[in-house]
Formats: sequence, C-alpha cells, structure tokens
Amino acid sequence: MIYVGAEVIVSPLGNNAEDNWQALSANRSGIALVPAAGFSGEDIHLARIGSLAGPLRFQQLIVNALTALISRIDAAIVPSNRTLVLISSTKGALDDDMNDQFNATCALLQQHFGLAHLPLVISNACISGVLTLNVAANMVKAGQYEHVIVVGCDVASDFVLYGFQSLFAVSDKPCAPFDAARNGITLGEGCAAVLVSGTGSVFENAPLELLAGASANDANHISGPSRTGEGLVRSVKRTFETHGVSADEIDFVCAHGTGTLFNDEMESIAFDRLSLADKPLNSLKGYFGHTLGAAGVIETAVCMQMVRNGMLVRSLGYTDAGTSRPLNIILKNEPKILNTILKTASGFGGGNASLMIRNI
Amino acid sequence: MKVITAYCNLRADRCLVNGEVVAERDPASEDSWFKQIYKKHALAYPKFYKMDVLSQAGYLASELIKKANPGLVDAYADDEIALIFANATSSAETDRRFKQSYEEAGTPSPSLFVYTLPNIVLGEIAIANKWYGENMFAVLPKFAPGFYLDYGQILSSSGSRALLCGWLEVTATGTDVFLFMVEERETGPAFSHDNLLQLSQAREAAAI
Amino acid sequence: MDSLKEDLKKQIIEQLNLEDLTVADIADDALLFNDQGLGLDSIDALELIVLLEKYHGIQLVNPEEGKEAFKSVDTMAAYIRKRKAA
Repeated sequence: MIYVGAEVIVSPLGNNAEDNWQALSANRSGIALVPAAGFSGEDIHLARIGSLAGPLRFQQLIVNALTALISRIDAAIVPSNRTLVLISSTKGALDDDMNDQFNATCALLQQHFGLAHLPLVISNACISGVLTLNVAANMVKAGQYEHVIVVGCDVASDFVLYGFQSLFAVSDKPCAPFDAARNGITLGEGCAAVLVSGTGSVFENAPLELLAGASANDANHISGPSRTGEGLVRSVKRTFETHGVSADEIDFVCAHGTGTLFNDEMESIAFDRLSLADKPLNSLKGYFGHTLGAAGVIETAVCMQMVRNGMLVRSLGYTDAGTSRPLNIILKNEPKILNTILKTASGFGGGNASLMIRNI
Repeated sequence: MKVITAYCNLRADRCLVNGEVVAERDPASEDSWFKQIYKKHALAYPKFYKMDVLSQAGYLASELIKKANPGLVDAYADDEIALIFANATSSAETDRRFKQSYEEAGTPSPSLFVYTLPNIVLGEIAIANKWYGENMFAVLPKFAPGFYLDYGQILSSSGSRALLCGWLEVTATGTDVFLFMVEERETGPAFSHDNLLQLSQAREAAAI
Repeated sequence: MDSLKEDLKKQIIEQLNLEDLTVADIADDALLFNDQGLGLDSIDALELIVLLEKYHGIQLVNPEEGKEAFKSVDTMAAYIRKRKAA
C-alpha cells in the first residue's frame, strides 16, 4: 500500500493544515482586494500571504512547509538515501532569478535539510501538483525510493498576473468556480507538503492511502480547454481502471474548477461523460485562488483533511448552475464519512491528471 | 528489452538524426536556424511560426525523427507514446520576452504568455500528432540519464508502450537539444545510462 | 502594391511575435485562422484587437465583428478602410 500523510498547508488561511481547516470549516476565503495590483493600476482580487514579502519568497515558503512536515514524521528518514524530495511548481523563483528559477532553491534545500539527493522539480503547468503526487506514488511502488516528500509551491507574481490579464482571464470579483456568473480566475499563492511512503510507521498521525492515477493530454490546444473533456475523461478512466474502482465508489470529487468560462464547462462535460455528475463536488479555488503548481498538492491536502474530519466543504463562490451539464456542487458544509475521493486537475499545455485518496 | 530506436541532436549549427547530419546552419541566411530546418525538410505546419523556441525545437526534432524512421510511431495507439522531457532553464528565454512585452513594449503579450511554461512543447507535440498519452516535464541542473531511466520504467509499467524523451535547452547563448525514442525490441542500443550519455554527445562523433 | 496591406503584414508579424515569417510569407487572401493558412487562434485574436487599436486607433467592441474582420489581410484592410471612412 502507498501511504500519504503529514500534510502541511501554508496559505493566506494559515501556516498549517489545522489552521487552514478551521478557515475552510468556517467558509472563510483567503482572497482579498489588493489596491492597484493590476497592470494598469486596477484593484485586483488576489489570495496573497500577507506575511510573505521581499526576495526569496519561493524558498521561504518551501523551507517553512518542509520544516513543518518534518516535525510530523520520523525525522530520521529525511537524510536517507532512500528518500527523495519532489517539487511541483510552474514559475518557482522567477522573481529572484529568471534564468535560474529552480536550481538554486534545490541546492539550498539539499544543504539546509541534509538531503541525500538533490530535489527534483516537475513543471507541468496547473496539473503539476497532481502529477507530482502520482510520480511520488509510482516511485515508491517501483521501489526506486522508499519515501518521497512532495512539495507544491508557487508565489503570486506580477508576471503571471499580467499574463492572465492579457488573456482577459482574471475575475473582477473573487473567483466563482462553476457559477453562472463566473468570469475568470483569482490568482493565489501558497505551498503544501505531504509525505508519500511505503511504510506506515514513519507518520506521526495515521496516514491515508494514495491511489496513483494517470495523466492524459487533450491533444487539442495549448491554452484552451478541450470542448469534449477528452483528456480529463481518459485520465480519470485510466485512474479508475488501474485500481479497479468504478464511479459508484467515489464519495466526493475535488475538481480543478478555475472559474473561467471554458475550463469549468469542459469539466462539467467530462464529469458527465464519466457518470460522476451526481457526486458531491467542489472547487477549492474560492478559498485559495489558483495557486498553479501548488494547487494540486494544496487541494489534495485539503481532501485529506476532509477525510480525517468527515466533512464535505462548500464550493465557495458558487450559487447558480452555470455549466451545460448539471453537477452536484456542494452548497453548504455537510458531515459525511468519506472513503474514496477523486482529485482532478487540468491545465495549459493540454494536460489532465487525476488521483484518488482512500481512508484506511 | 528497452532499446533506443531513433534519436535527434539539434545544436547551434547542425542537426543530426541517428548520427547523420540532416541540416547545417547557413550563417548567410536571413532565416532563423530553426526556420532553415523547417524549410529544408519541407515541413508544412504553419503553427510552427507561432511557437516559441522550445516548442519549435521539440516540434522539429520529433518531426525529423519520424521522417527518418517511417512507420516508427504507427505501431502505437494514440495514448501509448509517453513524452518525458526536461531542461535546466525552464522557459526562461520566453519568460524574458514576455517580461519585455509589458516592461518595455507597453502591453503584456498574450501570445507570448501562453508559452511561458516549459511543458507547452509537450502540448504542441501532442497536438501535432493527436497523442493523448502521458506527459511530464522536469527541470534538472543538467542532462541526467537516470531521470529518464527511472521515470521511463514507471511509465512502461503503467501502459505506455513507447517513450519519446527529450532534453531541450534553448537559450540566447546556446542550443542543446536531444530527443530519443525508446521502444521494446530484441536488438539495438539498450536504453541505458552509458548509451544515453554517448548519444547525447553525438555531435562530436559526426564532426570528426 | 497596397501599402496598407503590407503595413498590416508587418504589424501582424510584430504583434504576434512571428519574426520567423516575412511579409512575403503572408498572402493577401490567406485565411489567418485556418490551419492551412497562418493557424492563428483565439489568443492571437486578442493580439489583433490590440493591433487595431495600437496602429490604427480602432477600438473593437463586438468580438463577432472581429471574426469577420480578421479572416485575412484583405478583410482586415477593408475593415480598417470602412471604419476610417465612417
């Protein structure tokens, strides 16, 4: 069995998974209006971490998250030759050094934490987080490493904000995934870390099971979502097949749900094709904004908290159905025993990825 | 066993497929080096002109591998060829140009922004070939055979029957592109650490 | 030679960062958004809207209008002439 646990979340909502969970239980959002943040000096809604400032923000976030994670596991495995750190990120330390967005950070982490191996960076746009968790599980399963620490991190930069503005893809209110009045993303920043391991005893608190999934490309467009949801459908189908799981067994779907017109519409078509349209579903972007390379890890960590606390969390920002295929979007928090949950992601470059978490 | 069935080395001044020179840069030409290759091999894919340098390099090298090895990819279903790519500088060259668009040219350019992610080249290759398989892009300090061997093993055990792998470094100061195809065969150069190191340096061998 | 069309081709190359293309590579009637033509897409349409405003002082409010106007260099030139005459 592949275990996942010791989740840490650093976001505008708090510096650990428990504080973040408190905020989510109260349906509190990390999104705020930031004056004059936009390219033309407009006020923009962003999910920024207030205490994070100055240079080396990417590095700071990862060091904080890893330090917190290590306090929740058997610290003796950290320097082991059988342990690898994987980093999921899109733009890394771009604001510090455009020509070296990752390598300096990796070298520092290796030295700071006494790691046997240099961390490996996976950069696949918005599916990076889910993809990296799958890579971690597969590495452990193949016996390449015994323990893989997965860190997802991205900071909100002007670079990315201006880019999404140039695509007219930034919401003029806090993003409203799947809602009829949605009109774009809200950019966020944050970091999450989990340990993926074949050994259950290295976790301080009981771990959950990670069922690694597949990724699939849309083969359609580099920045526009597929009209048919083909890549997402293929990814989830293969994830189900790999583990002999059927759609009936899914208790909850944690969707990607960016809040753009086309992404959310694509997902509704895919979930409908996958017979998942009636499953309780949410997007967590209304709480954290879109944290890009961190999103898949942050959202999976929240899924783990949902399983542990036995609670479905409201899809913040959603009130009225706004996709061509109806979905069962969670309107208010609700206690529920969750055994098997599906997490999906889709992103630029046509990528789609999925994984499942199971209560043990 | 897993065998390297085809490969392409694209450097600053010449392009080789399976160790044979297929294009040499004409310094007198007004066309960019990548456009010279595109024209010389009569490729017909106008989207090429819109791509950033990483995507152009990945597209060219994958098309040249297919051209020199007819039938190479026909044996596979549309989701059986996985793409595993890596480089050291992510999309830094295009990032720099996008930053210039809003800092110097006055407006952030959407057509540059969409290329400011290193995995976009995987999307371009998937689109050009209608491939729905697995994609992964990693950022490593330098070309590391172990990365491809490890992840290739994982993908092969989860349903990908062939791998198209790539090291794709295209910056203002240099071009270092190495794409290779890995398939199940009885004979041929094994998908191994030493062979990858040797073939990645194929320019030197041919230049002698 | 129609100088507006030549200018437009230069502006398209500049605005869309197509520096691998030359003016001679774009035919007046080539379909800009067709895969056999220039293969432009919705992202590039955003750039063409910027182009019209930046070089010709024309603001395009109705995207449907853009669909017609951006078919080819011929139709873009005709659209600019019509808007300027109005």
